[in-house]
Amino acid sequence: MKDVQITLQINGEEYRLNVAVNRTLLEVLRDQLGMTETKYGCGTGECGACTVLVDGDRAINSCLTLAATMDGKRITTAAGFAKFGELNHIQQAFTDEAAIQCGYCTPGMIVKTASLLAKNPDPSEQEIRHALEGNICRCTGYEKIVKAVKKAASTAPRAAVVVPAVRVEVAQ
Amino acid sequence: MSSRILPDFELLMPQSIAEAVDLLSSYGRRVTVMAGGTDVLVAMKSTQSPEYVMSLANIPGLAHVLFEPAKGLRLGAKATVADLLAHPDVMRHYPSLWHAAEIFATGQVRNTATVLGNLLRASPAGDCSCAIYAIGGTVVFQSVSGRREVDIDDFWLSYGVTARRADELAVELVLPPPSDGARAAFRRLTRTNDDLAKLNVAVQLDMLGGTCIDARLAMGCVAPTPLRLRHTEALLKGREITAELLQRVAESVPAEISPIDDKRSTAEYRRQVAGVVLKRAIEDACRAD
Amino acid sequence: MKPESIVGTSAQRVDVKDKVTGQALYAADIQLPGMLYGKVVRCWEHAHARVVRLDLSAAAKSPGVVKVLGPADVTANTYNSSVLDLMVSEPMHDLLGDIDDQSIFTTHVKYQGDAICGIIAKSEEAAERAAAKVIVEYEPLPVYLTAEASRQPGAVQFVPEKPGNRAFELPEAMFPGHALGGGDVDAAMRDADVVVEDVFYVPKQKQCQMEPHAYIAKFDNAGRLTCWTSSQMPKLVQAKLARLFDLPMARVKINATVIGGGFGARLGLISEPQACAMALAVPGHPVKLQTLREEDWAISPSRHPGRYWMKLGFKKDGTPVACDARFENYKGGYYLDASGTAFTAGAWLSGMYKFPALRYRGESYFTNQGLTGAFRGYGNPQTNFALEQLIERACARLGMDPVEWRKKWHKGVGDDGWCAGVTYPSCALDECLDRGAAAIDWAEKRRRYANQTGTLRRGVGVAVMNHTSGAMPMLLEHTACTVKLNEDATAEVIFACSDMGQGSHTALKQIAAETLGFPFDDVQLANPGSDAGFDIGAHASRTIYVGGAAVKAACEDVKRQLFARAAERLQVPADQLDIRDKKIFAKADPQRSVDVEAITRGGVFHFVDPMTGQTTGAPGQIQGYVSFFPPHNSPPFGASFAEVEVDTETGEVRVLDLVNAHDIGRAINPAAVEGQLEGGIQQGLGFVLTEETQYDERGRMLNNSFTDYKMFGPSDMPKITTILVEDADPVGPFGAKSVGESGLVSPVGAVANAIYHALGIQFTEAPITPEKVLKGLREKGIAQAAH
Repeated sequence: MKDVQITLQINGEEYRLNVAVNRTLLEVLRDQLGMTETKYGCGTGECGACTVLVDGDRAINSCLTLAATMDGKRITTAAGFAKFGELNHIQQAFTDEAAIQCGYCTPGMIVKTASLLAKNPDPSEQEIRHALEGNICRCTGYEKIVKAVKKAASTAPRAAVVVPAVRVEVAQ
Repeated sequence: MSSRILPDFELLMPQSIAEAVDLLSSYGRRVTVMAGGTDVLVAMKSTQSPEYVMSLANIPGLAHVLFEPAKGLRLGAKATVADLLAHPDVMRHYPSLWHAAEIFATGQVRNTATVLGNLLRASPAGDCSCAIYAIGGTVVFQSVSGRREVDIDDFWLSYGVTARRADELAVELVLPPPSDGARAAFRRLTRTNDDLAKLNVAVQLDMLGGTCIDARLAMGCVAPTPLRLRHTEALLKGREITAELLQRVAESVPAEISPIDDKRSTAEYRRQVAGVVLKRAIEDACRAD
Repeated sequence: MKPESIVGTSAQRVDVKDKVTGQALYAADIQLPGMLYGKVVRCWEHAHARVVRLDLSAAAKSPGVVKVLGPADVTANTYNSSVLDLMVSEPMHDLLGDIDDQSIFTTHVKYQGDAICGIIAKSEEAAERAAAKVIVEYEPLPVYLTAEASRQPGAVQFVPEKPGNRAFELPEAMFPGHALGGGDVDAAMRDADVVVEDVFYVPKQKQCQMEPHAYIAKFDNAGRLTCWTSSQMPKLVQAKLARLFDLPMARVKINATVIGGGFGARLGLISEPQACAMALAVPGHPVKLQTLREEDWAISPSRHPGRYWMKLGFKKDGTPVACDARFENYKGGYYLDASGTAFTAGAWLSGMYKFPALRYRGESYFTNQGLTGAFRGYGNPQTNFALEQLIERACARLGMDPVEWRKKWHKGVGDDGWCAGVTYPSCALDECLDRGAAAIDWAEKRRRYANQTGTLRRGVGVAVMNHTSGAMPMLLEHTACTVKLNEDATAEVIFACSDMGQGSHTALKQIAAETLGFPFDDVQLANPGSDAGFDIGAHASRTIYVGGAAVKAACEDVKRQLFARAAERLQVPADQLDIRDKKIFAKADPQRSVDVEAITRGGVFHFVDPMTGQTTGAPGQIQGYVSFFPPHNSPPFGASFAEVEVDTETGEVRVLDLVNAHDIGRAINPAAVEGQLEGGIQQGLGFVLTEETQYDERGRMLNNSFTDYKMFGPSDMPKITTILVEDADPVGPFGAKSVGESGLVSPVGAVANAIYHALGIQFTEAPITPEKVLKGLREKGIAQAAH
């Protein structure tokens, strides 16, 4: 088994990486890059704690993605939404609506919300609930999370939810 | 016991279909083909340890969802469930498949899992598989010796086993063009909304007024593979769909199925509700325009 | 008294920004220099077996392996992963029969997932690869999945101290006849006009907290063992680990990490013993031990399943006369808190209604299912499922409205709560019932859904519950808290009670700021883990009621010291002073004031004038301290109302509406309180409708994953209404009672009763799956046979 060299653009910065072919994207983010905002919850693509965005708005389970097959992709994690402590409208909405308890599902929820709103800027409650299947929360009963997504939709900046692609060379 | 870490394997990343079929020709059963990977990687974390994994990621194309009124729908091997859902013609002309796809798994999985992968997994519970079985269609395989088309009716051989030969790559699924009298519906039973089906059913009717000219009925989770309900189809063909006929249709289902007890339900329950769910799906189809 | 300005507001969570940006560090997120990785090799093939051969040689030679540890390579001391034994007196401990029957690595496998040996390697991958090379040979033993099976004569004995594999029964010396309660139940039952009786089955529900258990342990060069863990109970875990490894407590340190959900799954020890045993084997190196979801499923205790027999007697006019019950739970492979749930299920039974004669027997039997222990509700949902359904059946027989009957006969102020002699100081259950009934349109829907014949049938149901605020008087209640004033007049509140995600630290900070008269942001709450003073930990819904009272008392101690110094300066008696906006002033003459900062700064920077040798002001940094033992227990009450729709052809139950009306005394942080009740509903609905860990006949889990074990998801949830009934409790801090566990309890009974209303059928086995409903419908002739 050998390593392969890939380039990932993560939260706007470019990373050239050697990854073992059996590494999932989740492992590369957490263990190789120390980006621990993306969580392991189940490893089987059910809980959504490991959700990241690919190429702007496509939410995927990073635990079910081989990093070696992601060469050249743009990845966004929950940490990519806040700049030096300044929360984006989704993070702010989750904060305002008290939609967070233990917080373990939160990064995945926020990423999933970004994906939903990018495709459907004004979702109905039913659409929100359907979209959040795949992100398990055991604390809140989803009530305040659904409210937060509604609020995020209503407070979204006019432009786009997607994190802009800024190419920055980072030495690895 | 599973592992968080995948077993060791060699990753093959062909750049073309030609290269992919060459690799399959050389390594055959030693290769596990991975498109979306949502099934393959879960299996590899628990029980499976293939020598080679061949990813289709670098093969250009193959993600097409093409509809032509006269020719039908063509889905490439890399077309995800989300790609299918994004296509307005699918919603219009293949509503049962669209509905199955919409409630299939989770958003993240729909963004990654491929429709062909759902067929190739050969699980009796696959929602897209069930809907496609009722619609009918053809799976196109490619190998070094050329193309081979297999009718969906001949596609699933047993649990987890398809007609794909070890040296073949499934490249495309072709669904027939919709007819004027086509009516379709998909239904399933689950424990919670995000769940694998404990029973699913898809119906594809060709109607002339209130009369059923032709019918294809598919049911999942009631046999080792997705199942066509051929005896029940015969009851419908050439008959006007009435409440009385639907009752007979519902009653004919249990004799055609061989469900088992598993984590999601029981054989007894599946037998008891299979007819009801089918009847409701036919009613859904007849209501649709 | 002036109204509160911080308590009672939905102050923003203290940790929210860390959590929305993903910066909050859970144990698995922490990376330390020189870190090694541990892997516990577990028995997955058998649920009951003896290890006859363990060969670690191939694993030891596997690339990257640093050490392999078998049973002989770790302490031979045994332990009990629960901490209940630390919360009772020595005589009580003996009376209950607590035993230490767990080993770090075992040679007698008692459940699937029992720990066999450990690998320490340079990477997680190397550890996993080596684990696969461990050779274990087992002698399979008979597998007992139920109490009926394990108590058979001739069954393999789990431990010699517990003959018949009965891990626990209520001790005769405390509970004559091994029964809790009082009165002549047999005579009263004979006199009853209406008797209802049934046997219920309650399921093995899993907490499914989102963060799987993970640890880091390090034995440092100074000989101190440090464990990073998301335990709910840092201080008791410290004590347990010290005892297990024969270390003085001063050489065991617990670092409390952010907790990704608990619900009981982090009460006491889980895999801290294995993580620490590994660390002790490689001094100087931190060892990280992460668990897989399925591993977490196996090793952390679940809710106690079992059979619950109950019989209730009433007079024709509805007067309750006798309650007779027996809960026999399937304990799992080890003792841990065998005594806890077996007792509390009955305590809540006795605390609910005014049965003059009551007899409850609780027993725990070893089985080869996975462990059982704490799970939010702790015996209460089990009781709710049985009791509330039987009350409903009785109301139907008596021709009484279930809401009215409950209002008339529930216990209230002055009645004994969950333990005799500890009376309810407050009870607003009537208001919960009234407001909940109004919210769901009870009377109209009860009438409208009375005689349905269609395929889809609706029903509404009600259930009530009482819970607890802390574990007093059965268990020790004690929290030490230190409040330190900085020289700039900001405060640091230091104590060891974990916030599992409920937001308790935010509420405690509100209590501290309110009590001190400081702005919210001038107070910091610190949980330094075991470096803080004693605290029981987060369990038994105690954090606000007990921990909050402790914080309040420590802050009052600060205030006393501040006022004493201000009195000196202002020449006004302390009892005539008040504080606002960090200014202490004479009530009679607010102009006469001193800034708190003047006092705190002067206390810290107490300079000696080098010219004169004189000093000014009072010296000393102000620290408030309390070692707090709550004087009482003020249980919360709650009423839940559910509306369901049942498909009589498929047996599917849809919950349309769920109202949770709770008497919580006072909401310190209303948004957080709502969050507790809303989250509780999701877990209560799971208990009654979908959730249960299943086993095959050999005791192996069938559904230890989120693929196969289904919880209510966002689109399954009903419309939710939470009603906070605020009737300040005379004892709790600012009138607060608990809310942490209670939200999940009465949705259980309410849904079961709504199904009963819709169909006229009661289901005695939870979860009430469509398979069971359809069977019931067919037996009653409601569902048509399709063939």
